[in-house]
Amino acid sequence: MTRSASHALAILVLAVVASAGCRSTPQPGDPMLDAIRAKERSGDLSYAESQGRNLFAQYCTTCHGDEGHGDGQNASNLDPAPPDLSAPNSGRDAVYLTTVISQGSVAVGRSPLSPPWGHSLTHQQIAYLVVYCQALGRRKPT
Amino acid sequence: MEIKNVAPPRLHIAFACLGVAFLLIFSWVLFHEGAAEWRSTQARFRRLQASLKNPHQLAQAASVGGLRQIWLPDLGRVDRCGTCHLGIDDPAFATAPAPFATHAGTWLSTHPPDRFGCTPCHDGQGQATDYTNAAHQPQPFLARPMRPLETIEANCGACHRALNPPDAPRLAEGRRLIADTGCFTCHEIPGFEGLTFRGPALSSIGYKVRPGWLAVWLHDPKDYLPQSKMGNFRLSPQESSGLQAFLLSQRAQPPIDSTGIDWMRANTANGRALFGELRCVSCHAVNGRGGTMGPELTRIGDKVRREWMFSFLKDPHRAQPDTPMLQYRLADDQLRDLTAFLFEEYSSGGAAPESPPVTYQDARVLAEGRAVFERRGCVSCHQLAGIRDTGRIGPNLAGIADRDPDELPYGSNVVRHTTDNYIFLKVLLPDTLGQPSLMPTFGFTPADAATIALALASIRKSDLPVSYVVGRPAQAPYRPGGKFGALVDRYRCLSCHSVGGYGGDLSTVPLDRVGSQLQHDYVAKYLLNPGAVRVSVEARMPVFHMTADEARTIADFFADVFVDDKIDRYDAHFAAVDVRRGQELYGQLGCRACHQLGTKGGYVGPELSGTGARLKPGWIAAWLSQPQAYKPGTLQPDYGLSAADARALTAYLASLGGGGTERTREGTTP
Repeated sequence: MTRSASHALAILVLAVVASAGCRSTPQPGDPMLDAIRAKERSGDLSYAESQGRNLFAQYCTTCHGDEGHGDGQNASNLDPAPPDLSAPNSGRDAVYLTTVISQGSVAVGRSPLSPPWGHSLTHQQIAYLVVYCQALGRRKPT
Repeated sequence: MEIKNVAPPRLHIAFACLGVAFLLIFSWVLFHEGAAEWRSTQARFRRLQASLKNPHQLAQAASVGGLRQIWLPDLGRVDRCGTCHLGIDDPAFATAPAPFATHAGTWLSTHPPDRFGCTPCHDGQGQATDYTNAAHQPQPFLARPMRPLETIEANCGACHRALNPPDAPRLAEGRRLIADTGCFTCHEIPGFEGLTFRGPALSSIGYKVRPGWLAVWLHDPKDYLPQSKMGNFRLSPQESSGLQAFLLSQRAQPPIDSTGIDWMRANTANGRALFGELRCVSCHAVNGRGGTMGPELTRIGDKVRREWMFSFLKDPHRAQPDTPMLQYRLADDQLRDLTAFLFEEYSSGGAAPESPPVTYQDARVLAEGRAVFERRGCVSCHQLAGIRDTGRIGPNLAGIADRDPDELPYGSNVVRHTTDNYIFLKVLLPDTLGQPSLMPTFGFTPADAATIALALASIRKSDLPVSYVVGRPAQAPYRPGGKFGALVDRYRCLSCHSVGGYGGDLSTVPLDRVGSQLQHDYVAKYLLNPGAVRVSVEARMPVFHMTADEARTIADFFADVFVDDKIDRYDAHFAAVDVRRGQELYGQLGCRACHQLGTKGGYVGPELSGTGARLKPGWIAAWLSQPQAYKPGTLQPDYGLSAADARALTAYLASLGGGGTERTREGTTP
């Protein structure tokens, strides 16, 4: 066998070994992203929905309850009581929800107890709240 | 005439081949340019546009041929993303498929693309005109691929430097965690200048703690207190015992003498009553419930010595000049009862006998403990006489997000080499990156570590033009003098209240304009026996046991100094018709949903029956007109009231309880 042929063979063997070695190492991951996604997945919410959840927790849960069931700590003081937002027949329409949130429940012909947030929250914040309210109906407790 | 052929025939062939090669390359370039990815994308967009829009709208729409780019010379960016993302600012494409869909949310109206471009928020390679090279997904050899939405708030933080930036909750949470953990005591972190984070001063710790507790604490603070702010320094047993001996030898100032106290006569029932009345749980948690400003007290009896506790309660500022803890005005008997109650209720093994403080003689062990103390930078958080403050021992984090990811260590962790991942691992497990690390392990959950990493990943090299930076307002420390200043110092008002942004945020009431908000007599009375104005708020103002003279001094100072000139004095007498109209509005607007009046209504906001005696009418009107301006994030909605309606509601509320005049208030708020 000539010298050049043996060199070629050695290089070939090395290449095969190297490629096999590459294949066996695990795929490098993104642990930071995984940690954030794991937290997000725990609520089964999209990015916008989880933003909405934060706002909901600040502005809405006192009456509507943590999960929107209408069982917040202030709910017992209200007549009429806050509705169950996760019920299948509650408003899902984005326009309807935007109206209620920004102009108050009085704007859709209900009691004035749910106040208007249109002067206090940004359009973006209201949009997040709307998608979260829509998600409340989707996430039926199993 | 014969022309001599100078070139040999072989060169002819070479020239011919070269010519053909150039021709081939040129036609390949032409073909490649003609078949560029963005051309077919734009063709698809034109078809989509034709199907979505009527001819009139089509005529108005700009033609979409050719490359589109945004050049931002002051940011050093050229973004050609608009070449393919053609429907980005047109609501007609809200449901169009990628890459033509309208931009989500209202971000483009607050961040117009001609000023902000695309990559400052999204990252990626703005100059590229095809999917792969624009680094929509991480690509080998392409720095800064596009950020997924989950971490995009890191880029908000490059411009938005406030600790609590709007519409970026994850960034805000990360910055809050950094502020609470005190990362900036060991690292210089841009954006956190001027914040302080202090553990207790240790100059007399030998008189304070029990040796058994200290051993456990130094091994891992989380063993004693799972939510400890101090991290685990991973000390070797030898380091640990040296440090323990060194610390227990620190006895600069003995506690206030309590030898005359007859502990046998301690009345723990009275101590329990005091514990409630002094509102200790506003700042201290017991059994997982309560405030977080002071240390958790659930097992305090295992930690400290009784004489020290008595002395500390009597004068906290003597031993810890920086403590947020106030100095109550209590008699020795009350202090004894309270101390005895704490030791009886909050220790795991009953009242274990206390051995007198041990004196450590072995100079070698002491020197070793001192060396550990200095090497691990304990002095960053804990003052100790005789230890020079050597400044921050951790590296400066300015520009950390722009470090070259391939030059950073990752140890044996199999991760993609990105600055994000490096910061995350360093925060979560500082000792696994293949280098010895002095940084303690704080025991963050992965989610918290990721949030902190996200906030740190917003710290870029500061080459942003100042016009883009939305800064953190500078806070000047507020240190009043005189009689009022002494009271502020004694009762540590600024641990919970703020003035000019300086101070604590436990209270919902900053003091800046409190003189324009509250009636003078109400303040003077309230300070003597603070009740809960908001029923649902758990943290309450303590009963200070202050004297009536002290309360009046504070009320006078409020009325004279903490005044907001923008708030109308408004002390007019209201017409009965205004009051009636206000009462109507009160019903129509649904105020009762949140406010109690008498026995009816919710308890989200303050109870309102004494409003006239409590609030100044000018403030009521100002607050109702723009609550968010005075307290961002408040649950009081802005109803967009007209001036007349605001005045009518003010008239009605001012008529409740006090009629706006000084009348005795019947009954305090519940």
